[in-house]
Amino acid sequence: MTVTTTRPQAATATAARAEGLSKFYGVDEAAVWALDNVSVGLQEGQFTAIMGPSGSGKSTLLHMLAGLDRPSSGEVFLGDVELSSLNDKQLTMLRRDRIGFIFQSFNLLPTMTAAENIVLPLRIAGRKPDEHWVASIVETVGLSGRLGHRPAQLSGGQQQRVAAARALASKPEIVFADEPTGALDSSSSAELLGFLRNAVTELGQTVVMVTHDPTAASYADRVIFLADGQIVDEMHTPTADQVLDYMKRLGA
Amino acid sequence: MFSTTIRQMLAHKLRLVLTTASIALGVAFLAGTLVLTDTMGLAFEQLFGKVSSGTDAVVRAEAPYTASDGVGTSRGPIPASALAAVKATDGVRAAEGTVTGYALLTDTKGKAVLTSGGAPTQGYSMPSDEKLRGDVELMSGTAPDSADEVAIDATSAEEHHIKLGSSIKVLFSGPTREFTVVGTVGFGGEKNLGGTTSAYFDTATAQQVLGTPGQFDSIAVSADQGVSQAELAENLSAVVPDGLEAVTGKTVAQESSDAIKKDLKIVGIMFMIFAGIALFVGSFIIWNTFTMIVTQRSREIALLRAVGSTRRQIMRSLLLEALLLGTAASAVGVALGVGVAKGLKTLMDAVGFSLPSTSLQLEPRTIWVSLLVGTAVTVVAALVPARRATKVLPVEALRESTPGAEKPSIRRAVIGVALTGAGTTVMLFTLYGGLAKAFFGPGLLAVMVGVMVSLPFAVRPLAAMIGKPLSWRGLPGELAKQNAMRNPRRTSSTAAALMIGLTLVVSMGVFASSLKHSFGDVISDQTSADLFVTTASAQGAGYSPSVIGAVEDAPGVEQVSASSWGEAHFLGAGSSYSAIDPATAGKVMNLEVSKGSLAALGRDGVVVSRSAATQHKWDIGSIVNAEFPATGQHRLHVVGVYDGKGWIGDNYVISLDEQKAFAGQQLVTSALVTLAAGADKGEVEQAIATALADHPDARVQDQKEFEKTASGSIDSLLQFVTMMLLLAVLIALLGIVNTLALSVFERTRELGLLRAVGMTKSQVRAMVRWESVVISLIGALSGAALGIGIGLAMSQALKDEGIKAISIPVPQVTMYVVLAAVAGVIAAIGPARSASRVDVLRAVVTD
Repeated sequence: MTVTTTRPQAATATAARAEGLSKFYGVDEAAVWALDNVSVGLQEGQFTAIMGPSGSGKSTLLHMLAGLDRPSSGEVFLGDVELSSLNDKQLTMLRRDRIGFIFQSFNLLPTMTAAENIVLPLRIAGRKPDEHWVASIVETVGLSGRLGHRPAQLSGGQQQRVAAARALASKPEIVFADEPTGALDSSSSAELLGFLRNAVTELGQTVVMVTHDPTAASYADRVIFLADGQIVDEMHTPTADQVLDYMKRLGA
Repeated sequence: MFSTTIRQMLAHKLRLVLTTASIALGVAFLAGTLVLTDTMGLAFEQLFGKVSSGTDAVVRAEAPYTASDGVGTSRGPIPASALAAVKATDGVRAAEGTVTGYALLTDTKGKAVLTSGGAPTQGYSMPSDEKLRGDVELMSGTAPDSADEVAIDATSAEEHHIKLGSSIKVLFSGPTREFTVVGTVGFGGEKNLGGTTSAYFDTATAQQVLGTPGQFDSIAVSADQGVSQAELAENLSAVVPDGLEAVTGKTVAQESSDAIKKDLKIVGIMFMIFAGIALFVGSFIIWNTFTMIVTQRSREIALLRAVGSTRRQIMRSLLLEALLLGTAASAVGVALGVGVAKGLKTLMDAVGFSLPSTSLQLEPRTIWVSLLVGTAVTVVAALVPARRATKVLPVEALRESTPGAEKPSIRRAVIGVALTGAGTTVMLFTLYGGLAKAFFGPGLLAVMVGVMVSLPFAVRPLAAMIGKPLSWRGLPGELAKQNAMRNPRRTSSTAAALMIGLTLVVSMGVFASSLKHSFGDVISDQTSADLFVTTASAQGAGYSPSVIGAVEDAPGVEQVSASSWGEAHFLGAGSSYSAIDPATAGKVMNLEVSKGSLAALGRDGVVVSRSAATQHKWDIGSIVNAEFPATGQHRLHVVGVYDGKGWIGDNYVISLDEQKAFAGQQLVTSALVTLAAGADKGEVEQAIATALADHPDARVQDQKEFEKTASGSIDSLLQFVTMMLLLAVLIALLGIVNTLALSVFERTRELGLLRAVGMTKSQVRAMVRWESVVISLIGALSGAALGIGIGLAMSQALKDEGIKAISIPVPQVTMYVVLAAVAGVIAAIGPARSASRVDVLRAVVTD
């Protein structure tokens, strides 16, 4: 186990945190531990990346934090709310109102235009979108000319930017991104990551992203490393090379 | 290839169950119909065999043609004197004259023993020779042997609590008489003869009350030991006087059972039509399923093509799947068919077509016909989608494809619109442009097919219209509308199944409604009667002519005009005729006689309809050849032409006296009553009702009551047809479930995404539910529109047959549409549940 260069900052408030979080699949001896007693806090207004080799449990951790999956034991807090105390409907509404999502692919409904996809969670909630806010996001993401297009008429990078705009449109407390650049070429990746970075720096948005790409991780304020279902280390304001070196040492 | 096929079929259990059911139900109906008609045919054959089992030969009057059923088609009587010669013939062991006629039993309180479905109420002479009675056996008491004794069928005795020794009145064509019940009769184990009632009298009494003294209907003969039926008939033929013939007992039994089978065939064809509709609707579901299978498997098919499968192999594999599915579904259908046969029989009993029964007959022919038809329908329905599968290009294996969103072709639009337009034009020309009526049916068919072909183009506008109110339901409503519009072809073929069902139900409804309204108009326009004397039950065949005398004698009655009907051959072809009273008919009926008059009907006159006159170029004085089984050929002179079909719908009208002379005394079917000046209608009605106390086969009604009775029979017929068509609607609903289930399956990822970004389970369920409602309403509304159009066209086409009024039963049609929407909600229950249970993680995580 290696000691990293910096210590965690203690000053900012926690947007979400996990305490003693475990997840296993199967039963008894056949049980496979995806997460083993993980405790972590995610600071408000920070861009956090979760990294680790395949099977390290990084996606599982993200799904737990985002209320998409339920832990085997332990607790997840979003703000003051403990997620396991919520029923399916409450959890769904929490996702709708307080969380933004960007998935690796298939983020958009094929029957709806880009504009419609962006305001989807708001429409589900039956809320009127904040026009100025949405317009400013669309502007930033650089989609102004393509709002009337359906997903099939957009490139992969454009689709992911629509997804990012959607994630921000409802002004969520936290945005979870699961390998958002996994299916993109490097220039599209850079555009998307730049956009997320901006959202954190300029708007104070909290973003948590799972990735296996050291370059993507270098956009983050903080990188958490997972291996075999446990947090093994973390890094603050890293460069891509630092992350890559560390990953090599982790034996990825 | 074979095992792949099987595995793929089992992989989608719900789809398998639904597609199996959609074909199996239609096949079950088909098999059920065959089983039912076979069973009834056999039952009647056995019955007639039993009744005539003791009769080796029959001597009867010759007739120009044999009609074993039909009003007024029995043979003429034979003189009683012929009996002596028959008895003296070689090989005759015993011979007795038989007489049959109308005899309505009453119970001990004087209430008529009515049959269901208008089955005959008959009286017979009871042979004194026991062997001649055949299987007609005394179940209790003794045979009648004096003028005031009667034996009745065991069912009537039991159901109406008529005990041996009790005194009952029996109604005849002539005066009513009172008898003592001395015995109950069974028929080879059955307690009644095919739903009829029977009264047995000794021969002399039977001649008096059922026929004419000195005459028999026929002579039943029993042979000496060792003499065959054929020999006996031959011996008898040599001795019977001119105008009589001798035939074997077997021949007579065969004639009767042939006639019944002919009737059953009509029932069978009617049910076959419904089975055909059900299968047709089912084929849409198969078509849909295979289209979806091909879409889902297109990558797989492309892969198979890429690694070298030929188009032929792909096609063969899909058709094999259809073949297996069709055979399995048809087998299930045949098994269900036996149950359906029972159900149909119960239904027919309930609506009043009571039939004798024996154990259900599952002939090998039923099994193979059903299997063949069901399998063929399935394979044919799968043919087009299978052909499409062969067009999948190998390169498509490499593409990520989103299912759905095919656009219907232009060619389809052109064909659809052309067919609809051509059909409509043809129909309009037959109605208003003098084109032959025969083109109406093909025109109608073209319109229906045309609408079905072009329905995909109507899906978007219809869904947009129906979906408008759904926007109030927020995003789930909006998405439901979009999903329904997404694949217009799939939506339209799902909705088309429902459309067909509703088109038929609604067009029948419109037609029946027009018929009912016309009936009211016909009564007011074409009769000037104050009161109507009708049969006691709506299905009653008629009532005794003696009723007329009783009504005439009631105080306040000015005039009674009776009418009857019957069947005979006119110009060599079977046709029905009406018989009226020429002296009074002109005053109470307005048949719009344009030439000659009703009053001119004498001994050999006939009044013909305008359409028949035009067709045969008849004018006053033209000769019409008519043949009656009882009296042979008659040359009738046209003495009038009438234009106003309605109250009377037959092409031929003769006088009651002519009918009696040509076909023997028949029952009266209705009588129009006018009041004497100043008489009070209510009082007269009461007086007639009192006079009819001794005639429980007839009743008096005013116009309102009469209309209501007639509407009632139209309604029960409509109900029967609607119930049959419900099967097609049910299959259509299975189709909606099928389509929704497949759509949900296809959209797993979308549903997962929606759930991830915050759509609640109940919102997801609502979304699927509304989509279902949109699809069913597309079917229901287009079906209702088409049905109204067709119903109106049919009514218009029959304008000359007396359907003068046109009426759309708006509440009824609205109810059907609302029910379809509700059914859509029900159909969505399962798919909506599975949609709400989509695993969010599995859907959004790319692996």
